[in-house]
Amino acid sequence: MSSAEELRAQIDALVRRYYAARFGERSFEPDRDLVHYAGRVFDSRELSLLVDASLDFYLTANRYSEQFETEFAAYLGADEALLVNSGSSANLVSMTALTSSRLGSRRLRPGDEVVTVAAGFPTTVAPIVQNQLVPVFVDVNLGDYTAIPERVRDAVGPKTRAVMMAHTLGVPFDLDVVGELAREHDLWVVEDNCDALGSRFRGRLTGTFGHLSTSSFYPAHHITMGEGGCVVTSDRELARIARSVRDWGRDCYCAGGENNTCGTRFSQQFGTLPRGFDHKYVYSHLGYNLKATDMQAAIGCAQLPKLEGFVAARRRNFARLTEILQPYADRLLLPSAPAHSEPSWFGFAITVRASAGFSRDDLVRYLESRRIETRALFAGNLLRHPAFDGIPHRVVGDLSNSDVITTSTFFLGVFPGIETRHLDHIADAFAAFMKGDRPTLRVTRPA
Amino acid sequence: MTRKLACRVDSIAAHGERVYTVRLRAERPLPSFRAGQFLHLALDPYDPSGFWPDSRAFSIASASGHDTALELCYSVKGRFTSRMERELAVGGTVWVKLPYGDFVIEGQDDVVLLAGGTGISAFTAYLEQLPPHASSSVVLAYGARAASLLLYTDLIRRTALHARRFQALFFAESAEPGDRTSDGAPIESGRLNVNAVWQRLPRPREAAYYISGPPAMLEAVSAELRAMGLAAEAIHTDAWE
Repeated sequence: MSSAEELRAQIDALVRRYYAARFGERSFEPDRDLVHYAGRVFDSRELSLLVDASLDFYLTANRYSEQFETEFAAYLGADEALLVNSGSSANLVSMTALTSSRLGSRRLRPGDEVVTVAAGFPTTVAPIVQNQLVPVFVDVNLGDYTAIPERVRDAVGPKTRAVMMAHTLGVPFDLDVVGELAREHDLWVVEDNCDALGSRFRGRLTGTFGHLSTSSFYPAHHITMGEGGCVVTSDRELARIARSVRDWGRDCYCAGGENNTCGTRFSQQFGTLPRGFDHKYVYSHLGYNLKATDMQAAIGCAQLPKLEGFVAARRRNFARLTEILQPYADRLLLPSAPAHSEPSWFGFAITVRASAGFSRDDLVRYLESRRIETRALFAGNLLRHPAFDGIPHRVVGDLSNSDVITTSTFFLGVFPGIETRHLDHIADAFAAFMKGDRPTLRVTRPA
Repeated sequence: MTRKLACRVDSIAAHGERVYTVRLRAERPLPSFRAGQFLHLALDPYDPSGFWPDSRAFSIASASGHDTALELCYSVKGRFTSRMERELAVGGTVWVKLPYGDFVIEGQDDVVLLAGGTGISAFTAYLEQLPPHASSSVVLAYGARAASLLLYTDLIRRTALHARRFQALFFAESAEPGDRTSDGAPIESGRLNVNAVWQRLPRPREAAYYISGPPAMLEAVSAELRAMGLAAEAIHTDAWE
């Protein structure tokens, strides 16, 4: 009879063989296979750790979560990292944390304004609205798709208490301006770093400038654990609040399966509860359950050491796409990095110029017909979506560029799974399209 | 951010009357922590893929920044500390998880540290890091059963030498008139005396009071301070069950 350790070793050996058999060879036939815009990039290590975590059968956060949080915080040079189940959850936790009564007069209250952008992903903005705060929308630049710095300055009014924006598609927003405004007006800053893990501004990693920052580990992102995200901060009080918001709103900070870590489980006084009420069930926030599992964290532990390689591959692919598409720059606005920034590119954004002679939809349909995946720049102008209809908000200036993005912008992938053969296929497709190979696409409607 | 770490027992110092100082060496670098925070120590083996074993909280006596070195003090009081006395041995392995707790001295107010017995370990990291030119006054009043059980007197002496606005008062229940610490500081006879501290501060009602020690001492000193008219918010206790 083998011991548990021996069986575990045998399973691991089999998992590695399984990886080689199932995922080892990856062919690409341009006439048959998709050029994905994003996806999981992994080897046998991810499978090994995932199975290892599942054999622990602890299920909830445990050793791999602790390891991932420690290593992720170290990567960013932050004191605290809190694993959550998605980047959107990280945004929700972060914004909700800023409404905590533990922050005293610095807490955000209903009606306080938060500066953000209209062109982006909905769950950057939704937590502002969900916390009864008022988003103040500013327009973005075309080309780098980040907030227009002058508009951000103009947006700050007497009710403004925070800035929450994304480094869209990996491009850092102007952290000089936001930092200066934050100091001048005592604003909270939340960096939605979900698209930008590994990006730098003035040589410093994004996600380290704000009071809080968020990351996503969805498969389309720089590293993945399937579903997953992280809240990062170097403010211990914010970390404690965020942990509470993540973990049902409870005051207790015991990890799952632990008891009386604080040593005062039955001797504290909270609110009007009887003295000594079990601290495990004392709630200091209206929270959620947004925790991740140890299996997710295990995958993250295998992914994180690969991050720098992934970032380099994304930059290489971005550079190659720039070379491929430069000849069409009269018709396509190609992406660019603003001053002082070194993006860890999430995608390659293209805006079809008004004078191009074809539309974004013409080009996207053609590329999709050639099995080249494309994506809109997320929601475009969020205010045009039903979910945001009627929300309390303010707009500074106009959102004309956000509207251009809604109709004329899309992006291609740059993820490490895109190799030379895929890029060559993309080059061929663009060349053919620009030469006039634009078959009329039949749109079939249901009867 | 909390971490769980295996530690080797580097040394155990017995001070008499079942009071000990234990030095540990963690297998990996320690997470950063603040002076006044505590750790949990487990004597039973811990399998990181399973549940955390029975453990007890101890103030971290050493300051953050020592890479892998940890120090704690304990006095044998109950089941867990009795096990520690029996089972801890130099070279042995224990597990710790850390850091925890809010017993952290912050703010610009004058500070009074009231320590009873091994409760001094909640303040030692703070003293180690006290800047020479701190703008606030810091007064430590430290009592123990016997003069020999006054720990960290060398650290306290060094702090008094380098920190301009730091003062220390020592008390021992069994002290005789004229008794001094090993570093030559006078020891008052009897229990820790809040009145003596009160007289050392220009504005005692505006100071923040931090109390660490056995439960009876915490209760008695807190009550005394409240009776002197101090607001509850000015009194911080390092209380565990």
